Amino acid sequence: MTNFFKSFSTWIIVAFIAAILPLIFDSSFALTLLSKMGVLIIFTVAYNMLLGQGGMLSFGHAIYFGLAGYASIHILNGIGEETLPYFPTVLFPFIGAVVGLFFGSLVGYVSTRRAGTAFAMISLGFCEMVTAMTLIFVIFFNGEDGIQTDRMVGPEPFGITFGPQIEIYYLILFWCLVAVALMYIITKTPFGRMSNAVRDNPERAAFIGYNVRRVRWQAFALSSMFAGAAGSLHALNYEHIGFESVSIVQSGAVLFMAFIGGAGHFLGPIVGAIGLTYLDSTLADVTEAWLLYLGLTFSGIVMFAPGGLAGLIVMHGPIARTDKKLLISLIKPYFLAISSVVTGLIGLIGIIEMLYFRSLISKGEGEVVIFWTEFNANGIMSWLIFITLILVGIFLSKKTFPMAKESWDHAISVVKTEISNE
Amino acid sequence: MSNALQLKNVSKSFGEAKIIKNLNLEIRKNERHAIIGPNGAGKSTLFHLISGHYKLTSGRITLNNKEINNLEPHEINRKGLARSFQVTNIFPKMSVYENIRCGILWSMGFKYSIIRLVNGDKKLNEKTDSILEEINLKHCAHIPAGLLSYADQRALEIGITIAGGADTLMLDEPTAGMSNSETERAVNLIKQISENRTLVVVEHDMGVVFDLADRISVLVYGEIIATDTPTKIRENKAVQEAYLGTEDH
Repeated sequence: MTNFFKSFSTWIIVAFIAAILPLIFDSSFALTLLSKMGVLIIFTVAYNMLLGQGGMLSFGHAIYFGLAGYASIHILNGIGEETLPYFPTVLFPFIGAVVGLFFGSLVGYVSTRRAGTAFAMISLGFCEMVTAMTLIFVIFFNGEDGIQTDRMVGPEPFGITFGPQIEIYYLILFWCLVAVALMYIITKTPFGRMSNAVRDNPERAAFIGYNVRRVRWQAFALSSMFAGAAGSLHALNYEHIGFESVSIVQSGAVLFMAFIGGAGHFLGPIVGAIGLTYLDSTLADVTEAWLLYLGLTFSGIVMFAPGGLAGLIVMHGPIARTDKKLLISLIKPYFLAISSVVTGLIGLIGIIEMLYFRSLISKGEGEVVIFWTEFNANGIMSWLIFITLILVGIFLSKKTFPMAKESWDHAISVVKTEISNE
Repeated sequence: MSNALQLKNVSKSFGEAKIIKNLNLEIRKNERHAIIGPNGAGKSTLFHLISGHYKLTSGRITLNNKEINNLEPHEINRKGLARSFQVTNIFPKMSVYENIRCGILWSMGFKYSIIRLVNGDKKLNEKTDSILEEINLKHCAHIPAGLLSYADQRALEIGITIAGGADTLMLDEPTAGMSNSETERAVNLIKQISENRTLVVVEHDMGVVFDLADRISVLVYGEIIATDTPTKIRENKAVQEAYLGTEDH
């Protein structure tokens, strides 16, 4: 019971903080950013029902997000032109959910008959197919231009028009909390547990009486349903939908967010969605090479921390529970290891930025601002500084990483003896 | 006496290779039946055929007098047959507790529900606890199953196998790779869980086989050459020639 109350209070605190955020950060940039985060949190957690909970790698989950967006925009326009009866704006995520569930059940019925590589390939195939359709069936998708809408339709209960961004933000926040709570509860149901079981070991799952394909199909359909709800909110938020929303780009983005955040933990995708949306909005203005850094980060996570950011935190849980001092003893070796990597990365970023600069700017000009400092991209000194940083970073990493690993191994061996002594 | 399992003229070929040839076998209700035979005799294939992992080339298999040879593994399981595997087959990332609880879900009618909560169901959790007690893993219930010692993982797999309440159990080499003391523990566990159940076991350790089995069938090159009590099997000339004489045990 205390456990239940504990998790319940966390929800309230999170809801409260999210509700007052627009009062603290009241710029229109912040509001747009927060709205986008809310939508992508729903989408990423939904995607993780497949990737993290069900062990299915999809390269085409934006289909359900985007198609729900298209449907919502058409219905909004229909209401605006009075060819369709009024439907409350507040309930639009239901439209998206139905659309997502429909297409998810349809495609999922085919694709979940296979697992692993074949499943991933099929998802990619469907994604390309739907993207191509947006350019062919112009009457519904309107090609590369996409479709505009006006979200201010119908009556205005309590003076809420959903015109101002702040009203849309609270709409998104409400549905974000509802959707995430529902998806969390689903992990605690028989279906949710069996979804994990099928991910871990489909063969064993079959021999305890479960139809593995049925479990996967249901996971796929439910995940598409929530993705659809997110798609509706996305359409309301931008009053526009374009072919990129069903494309491999959007599908890849949600995969990046879920994986970098940590697919193995329920909170991971939320961390990923918030973090990457923030970086995408801020860094994209600072550097042209933002996507390059994103790619590097993703590759780094896949290779060195396959549990994502959440995984890195969670793996220290047993150590913290065994002995807090043990955890503190890890701070110093970690700090040294991270510092040496950061040193090398600063050098790498410097080189990349100067290369970018030289490829974009005509010869003669050489002043480039990197890390708030002016460097001369044509001068040999700048290059030497950054190359030296890379080399120093590599050299230090070779010393500090084995130290960090040794401390980690030591801590874990202490934990293991503690457990076996119990 | 009625039979729990009956195999009639069962054959299985992989391409040209006939692995199981016109095999006939009767497993009586509530007996402990061991299947022995040299490497490559087809013991594991036979298990896979019965449990629905492989499809028969020809023949007929019945479980409690109902035909099962065209069913999927999960359908056969729902009819009351559970099995373990030669290589440990558990849910490594889930806790020991979750492993057992998942094994129970179907038999208690939870199906694919998304509106019931597993933590809130008292009967389900009581049953999980009682099975954990039976296999002596209660002390490590909340550790990820993949971190258990090998012998404990095998015990957990037996736990998952019995969790669904099946009345026919098939264990594929349950003591393979265990030390003497671990083997002893495993044999005691198997004796205990097979009370009032039908047990079919494939095993290489002859000590275990003769200790455990009520009857033994000897499988050589896809054919059963004898089925009898342990004493009679020991005296059987054909078995001695084909198998026991050449074994290192």
